[in-house]
Amino acid sequence: MRPGGSRRNPKQTPTTRIWGFFALVLLIYGGLYIVSPRKTAEALKNCGHFASQIAIPLGLVFVFMLFINLFLSPSQIMNFLGRKAGFKGLFLSAIAGIISVGPIFAWYPLLKNLRDKGASSTILATFLCNRSVKPFLLPIMVSFFGWKYVLILTFFSVLGAMTVGVGVGVLTQKYP
Amino acid sequence: MRKSRIVRPVKILIPSEGTSLDSQIGDRFGTSPWFLITDLTTMTVEIYANPAADMKSTGMQAVACVIEKKADVILTGYCSPLAEKYLRANGIKVIQNLQGKGFNILEQYKKKGYLFSRECDTSRSEYKSLLGFSLLQTLRQVAVMLPLIGGVIGLLGLFNAFVSKQVLLSIFPGSNGLDTLAGSCLGSISAGNPINSYILGNALLKRGVSLFGITAFIVSWVSVGLLQLPAEISLLGRRFAIYRNAFSFLMAGVIAFLTVTVLQLFQGSFF
Repeated sequence: MRPGGSRRNPKQTPTTRIWGFFALVLLIYGGLYIVSPRKTAEALKNCGHFASQIAIPLGLVFVFMLFINLFLSPSQIMNFLGRKAGFKGLFLSAIAGIISVGPIFAWYPLLKNLRDKGASSTILATFLCNRSVKPFLLPIMVSFFGWKYVLILTFFSVLGAMTVGVGVGVLTQKYP
Repeated sequence: MRKSRIVRPVKILIPSEGTSLDSQIGDRFGTSPWFLITDLTTMTVEIYANPAADMKSTGMQAVACVIEKKADVILTGYCSPLAEKYLRANGIKVIQNLQGKGFNILEQYKKKGYLFSRECDTSRSEYKSLLGFSLLQTLRQVAVMLPLIGGVIGLLGLFNAFVSKQVLLSIFPGSNGLDTLAGSCLGSISAGNPINSYILGNALLKRGVSLFGITAFIVSWVSVGLLQLPAEISLLGRRFAIYRNAFSFLMAGVIAFLTVTVLQLFQGSFF
């Protein structure tokens, strides 16, 4: 009975799949470069732009993850963000989703970390969906569409995000 | 601190292959099907199913279960360093490299428990400091996901370069219902700074696209991510990613309908 014996742990990060996905994208770039080098170069330029956008949020995510790894135990996370966290957990994740900045995929590592430590699907889905509310961008949105529209949209967005969170939680529990 | 209240260990947890102490001890703490908790003072055995044994749950749920059941010592074949770190942080001793039947292991522990505990100290020295360990752990967690994030960025770059704004604008048919559907679809495959969705939405509004469609477009731009779906599946699970994106897609339409209807009500009745 040695550690890591014959039993494979499917919960380990699927590293080969991740690198496979990256290699596939590189292959697509290679193929498209042959067909349309100008557009592919433009795509690469876009990538640089996206990468610069993601740098600060990813740094934030790193700090949050370090904080979680350092100070929060699975039982504490399950208390605040687990299945039994109730409205408190829903509210916390909604606030976190609203104030989070940067592209959605920058937050996946943090969410995976929380999930591995016991956070529920409801909480993760509520966080991701509440990202449609952007308090820092509200003035810009108001200048385009008017404050009445923005106010009503914000209200329904928060309500909708919580509904999605609860719905995803119920579905993943019923059909795991 | 819980640890200071314990004069000597009384509740011993043995991850087991079966539901009695006659069964073999589990070789891995996180994936053994059963947890047998023995009270050394009364020798009563409580049997619990390991919540992480189905391999669909995370090993951390096993850790949380042990903490919840207030076990003092775990006797096991192997326990991952991460799980051990959290167990120790909660005052639970982990003794590893054991094999045999649960009953024999328990007897062995009762006779020379403190000899085993020296093995724990060896693994503790590996950490040096909790900060260093956590830093390394976080670096590893982020580094593993970098190729995935790189792949998503690559796809987004391609989409923005090869699909023009004219193509995007041309997909709105002109009716409220179909515009909402088109807006949700378009928002789902678009990504980037949400300001772009406002600018594009404003341009669409000026071209006569209904506010229903534009609202669905703005909401789904941020909440639904088809291009990011491979990354979301890989990190958060297939079912979670599919349910969340499908639900969010539908919700974008519902939010659009409610927002514009209420706005029209307000404008008609009160303003």
